[in-house]
Amino acid sequence: MNSAGAYAIGTLLVWLGAVLVARGIYQILQRKMALVGLIAGGVALVAGSMLLPKGKTQIPLLWPVMPFVLWAGLGCILYGMGQLLAAALDPNGRVRGERYRSGTLAFGGAVLLGLLFRATPDATVALLEGGIPLSLSGLVGLGALAMAAILAMVWAQASLERHRILKRVATHVTLLAGSVVFGIPFLWLLLTSFKQERDMASPDGIVLVPHVDVTVPFRNPKQPLYETLHDGETVEVNVLETSGDRVTVDIQKPMGLRGQTFEADKSGLKEIPTQAAVVTAVMEGKPIRGIVVEDMEDGHRLVQATSPPELKGKEAVFSPSDVQPVTRIGLRWANYTEALDFLPPEADRGLVYLRNTLVIVVLNVIGTILASAIVAYAFARLRFPGKNGLFAVLLATMMLPGAVTLLPQFLIFRGLGWTDSLLPLWVPAFFGSAFNIFLLRQFFLNVPMELEDAAKIDGCGYLKSFWAVMLPQVKPALAVIAIWTFLGSWNSFMAPLIYVNSPEHMPISYAVQMYSSDRSGEPGLLMAFVTMSILPVLLLFFFAQRYFVEGVTLSGIGGR
Amino acid sequence: MRLWGGTHGRLTATALAALAALPCISLASPIIEKGKRQLVIWGVTLGPDTKGLEAVVHAFEAANPDVHVRVLSMGAGGMNPQKQMTAIVGGSPPDIIQQDRFSMADWASRGAFLPLDDLIARDRNTDSDCPTPEKFYPAAWAEAVYEGKVYGIPDGADNRALYWNREIFRAKAAELRAAGLNPDRPPRTWSEVKAYNKVLTEFKPDGTLMQAGFMPNFGNSWFYMFAFQNNAKFMSDDGKHCTLDSPPAEEALQFMLDCYEQLGGYENARAFEAGFGVRQLDGFYGGRVAMKIDGDWSLNNLARYAPTMDVAVAPPPVPDDRFYHRGLFTNEKDTFITWMGGFCQVIPRGARNVEDAWRYIKFALSLKGKTIKLDADRRWQISRGHPYISGQMANLEANRMILNRYAPADEKFRKSLEVHVSLMQVSRVRPPTFVGQLLWDQHVEAMDKTLRRQMSAKAALQAGQAVVQRELDAFYSQDKYPQIDLRVPIAIFALLGLAGAGVLNLLYRRHKLGRLSRHEARWGYALVSPWVFGFAVLTLGPMLMSLFFSFTRYNVLSPPRWVGVQNYAEMVGADRATFLKAFSNALYFAGIGVPLSLITGLGIALLLNTGVRGMRFYRTFFYMPSIVPATASAVLWAWLLAPDASKGLLNAAWSHTIQPWLGASAPGWVTSEAWAKDSLIMMGVWGAGSGMLLWLAGLKGVPTQLYEASAIDGATPKQQFWRITMPQLSPVIFFNLVVGLVGAMQEFDRVYVMKPDEGTVGPGDSLLMPVYHLFNNGFAFFRMGYASAIAWIIFFVILALTVFQFWIAPRWVHYEVER
Repeated sequence: MNSAGAYAIGTLLVWLGAVLVARGIYQILQRKMALVGLIAGGVALVAGSMLLPKGKTQIPLLWPVMPFVLWAGLGCILYGMGQLLAAALDPNGRVRGERYRSGTLAFGGAVLLGLLFRATPDATVALLEGGIPLSLSGLVGLGALAMAAILAMVWAQASLERHRILKRVATHVTLLAGSVVFGIPFLWLLLTSFKQERDMASPDGIVLVPHVDVTVPFRNPKQPLYETLHDGETVEVNVLETSGDRVTVDIQKPMGLRGQTFEADKSGLKEIPTQAAVVTAVMEGKPIRGIVVEDMEDGHRLVQATSPPELKGKEAVFSPSDVQPVTRIGLRWANYTEALDFLPPEADRGLVYLRNTLVIVVLNVIGTILASAIVAYAFARLRFPGKNGLFAVLLATMMLPGAVTLLPQFLIFRGLGWTDSLLPLWVPAFFGSAFNIFLLRQFFLNVPMELEDAAKIDGCGYLKSFWAVMLPQVKPALAVIAIWTFLGSWNSFMAPLIYVNSPEHMPISYAVQMYSSDRSGEPGLLMAFVTMSILPVLLLFFFAQRYFVEGVTLSGIGGR
Repeated sequence: MRLWGGTHGRLTATALAALAALPCISLASPIIEKGKRQLVIWGVTLGPDTKGLEAVVHAFEAANPDVHVRVLSMGAGGMNPQKQMTAIVGGSPPDIIQQDRFSMADWASRGAFLPLDDLIARDRNTDSDCPTPEKFYPAAWAEAVYEGKVYGIPDGADNRALYWNREIFRAKAAELRAAGLNPDRPPRTWSEVKAYNKVLTEFKPDGTLMQAGFMPNFGNSWFYMFAFQNNAKFMSDDGKHCTLDSPPAEEALQFMLDCYEQLGGYENARAFEAGFGVRQLDGFYGGRVAMKIDGDWSLNNLARYAPTMDVAVAPPPVPDDRFYHRGLFTNEKDTFITWMGGFCQVIPRGARNVEDAWRYIKFALSLKGKTIKLDADRRWQISRGHPYISGQMANLEANRMILNRYAPADEKFRKSLEVHVSLMQVSRVRPPTFVGQLLWDQHVEAMDKTLRRQMSAKAALQAGQAVVQRELDAFYSQDKYPQIDLRVPIAIFALLGLAGAGVLNLLYRRHKLGRLSRHEARWGYALVSPWVFGFAVLTLGPMLMSLFFSFTRYNVLSPPRWVGVQNYAEMVGADRATFLKAFSNALYFAGIGVPLSLITGLGIALLLNTGVRGMRFYRTFFYMPSIVPATASAVLWAWLLAPDASKGLLNAAWSHTIQPWLGASAPGWVTSEAWAKDSLIMMGVWGAGSGMLLWLAGLKGVPTQLYEASAIDGATPKQQFWRITMPQLSPVIFFNLVVGLVGAMQEFDRVYVMKPDEGTVGPGDSLLMPVYHLFNNGFAFFRMGYASAIAWIIFFVILALTVFQFWIAPRWVHYEVER
């Protein structure tokens, strides 16, 4: 037998043995005769570990590497085999036929998935073997954990109440683990949005906790920093040239104006300290702490020592790799302000994006609700020739993919001269949407006739009775449609991508994509921008969670 | 009676608050200076390091106080033509586009750009800044000329050279000498490259690379450069034939393949490359690659991130025969050949402000404008403590200036820049042809297929040639298809519509209605009219139009031509591979992703449905991801799944667990062909929360007496699940499945944001989805006819899937009331 096969069998035996031993202990503790299982498990464990390489304490592992499609195929095959086996054993003829059918279907699915696998040229299959290295304490700990689980199960066996408690604990543990998995991307987003650029891709492995460089205020005699007013805004500047009382200055802050120069009066300048980076290095053979006084043109850094005392004030030039910045755990809030600074000026620090999105969302919600409700009302309550035919057409369009009408709609809106405006993004909502009309019609049908009849007797016209009597009756459905439309239009990306050509009409969803293609080199800013872009929708979700939940519940009616 | 308010008052209040917020937000108006003429420039980005551009803009605005310049990236000018085309076709283009020169002819041929000859002729004697051919490198200027007309003024001009790490050469001096190679100079010919590559490459025991001698396409050479060196031409002189598959080109591709084979194959080299980072962590700076071909822009990075590295720049190695001037190259004048690219500034057709655009172009690309730019860039970089090395210019005078007035401080870099500048005279450019972009895409594809050993060099080049030639033939034979005046189909539609209305009216009159019913019917028609109107204008009309277009060739800028079923024939003919790829991708995505999300959602819902405390909290947590906008979550996931373990969280975790345990190296996720779709699926599973809510609702709807009764009969929990829960839930499953599949078949947003920036949609088109294919054809290539045909196929596939599901549903979906 080759060694790979031995490894595989050894691994399987060890796992099987471990399970059998655990089960054996469990049953013995229940005072049941389970010696056979225990012994069998022990034998499997020993035999398995003899097949495995010696001298290593590890939990042996096997893992077939294959794409998801093959896993699904494997699942199909296992399921199909199970069905066929069950069918062969099943005495009930009707059920047997069903099982044969579903087993065959599963095999068909497996073949289909196999073909899909073949269509992916890069995909490969491999069996990996290895193990989780285990120290003695790890082994003991794992054993203790297993023992605790077994004891808990035995303890729970005694009464129904205990059983319930154990089940609850297990559920919570599983749910918490799941929440962590689902929450990690959010956490990562937040952490990354606070990290400084150096930590985004560090050669020493991934940086999890945001750090910031430690800096100290420092007045640089060679290049003093001044504060002054420029177009009514306070800016920080360096002096480039001096001629008499006038100076030419170079803006350093805010970021958006950085690099611009202008002339100013000398008297208007007020010197302020810069922030110098605190670093460690080795000077004259001694480790020192110091501050960076100047970053030089060739990449070298001029460092002034601050400690130890005997070297204090001394300066030396270092190559950048010999200087280690001193950092502390902290959040780099500047990512957020800088992310907005780098938006095009037309976007007014992102407010214009927010405004556009709000305009689109509000008009979509109003339009969809009004139009869909009116049309649904007519379909539900008014009689007119051709109604059933029209309704059938409406049902048919529910399944129509948007792709079919995408191109001609573009030509139509272009013909109307609506490109590069928000109009194509909300006007269609005012014609109602098939699904919402259908949903609302079902609700209107359930409103008791008597209510409307009473209104009619009071002299209400159709519009009045629609507005005052019918609409309030379906408020839950309206809330749901509002939420769905809100989400749909807030997320809508393809339409803005096609129609919008300038930042003053860009909604947030599109701005995020634009930002990510422009600023992929600055992940801190990008993640800060993404965080800000999803914040409103998350806030709304927390505020109106109930309606979201109801919304999903109600849309399920479509299936019923 | 309080009809509006009550329990739902809070939502009403929210809506009102949102409405009230609108006027406040609208105070945040875009900063557009009133009373000034707008000059909109696309294709350049303002960022922290673009002070040169800003200075030019400021100087221009100072000289033209009535003009306001707006600079926007908009993804234009480069590899993403969609935005630009929709803007030009849609009638709202910018005034200037910074356009990659090689793809300029694509646009010029379609009449999307304005010829500049008249403007040049008008100003050349009166304005010393006016760009004229003699002020530019001839090759750069020629690239901006299509069919004898000038469409753009060249801006930058980058060319490629060989970068070699002298430290590695020194470290390996003994071995190099033993192989008869000189460690003090770089290779000059292709066979020398291979000899050096052999010595300088080191493998780890497991066969992966530790150090690469020469990776042909690491840096920036592509296949174009090697082909140019071997005197390959990609187009015949008359521009009617593509010659991508010429023997010299094949030899060049074979050379690239040989080099990669020395590295243990292309995949091995790519896996090695995937471990490199950006900036400081670049593989070349880290001494992991001994030689690379790269453009002059890399000098600035080199000076900034590896200032002390001992590196030198030399002309790129050429075929042996060329170097020794023998064989086919006996009479060749030039020993070395390289490849030049760069951008130019163009004025799109329909630009609102042509005069100002022209004035800006003249100013920005003149020696004066370039001096302002260089001054500002240099001052900025030096003030930040970074060295400054300018990229090269197409303007002859300006390019001389970067070597004297703005020469790099470091002698080593000055010499390197000199090599680049001296190579300008022997730099070739890609042929100006209207199939430039397609030729580029096909050249990438042929290279990719050959290097991955999926095809021989010859077969891959022939396949690419055939695709380009088809487009050429189609263009030159289009006159044989009749042009259609768009008014004809519109008139036919209108007549049909009128006839339909007439018939409906007749039918209506045949109904005998009383006065009251007539009143009711009128109201009925009035109230459904919004939808009917919307249906006619936005659904039925467009559907008919798209059906009509699917039988035509239509690029929007010129009238459609009737081509019959040619578009449909193309799907099963020339475009079959891509077309099938798109649908098999969608099927994979839908077939795996939808059930996986469903199962995940069901699992969570089952756990939550046990009456566990804190259910609301968990529910919120699991549901949250599914309301994050698709673009935002795609950006987030692209970062989470970054292949580099120092960046991507998932691969960082992988490299600490699975890698040491099982010895499996981390997958490349979105950047690898095998895992790209699975990455997308994982993202989909993250959003399984909305399905979970639906399951929860379904579970709440299962009558409890069913469980009670079965418990009395002694049913086990497993039996209860399969015999009660699942059948009761089956309508929910069915609904989810139908909606999920239809959605998955139309996947677009996340792919658009997540795909790596390459010529293909994901590696090897592994993320190409049907709607993406449609979008590309419709809005990037403006082949509206073909795109419409795809739309109809998508429609039928979705229809078939849905009908199939409804057909099979009665077999497994359990309804309380038999229908």
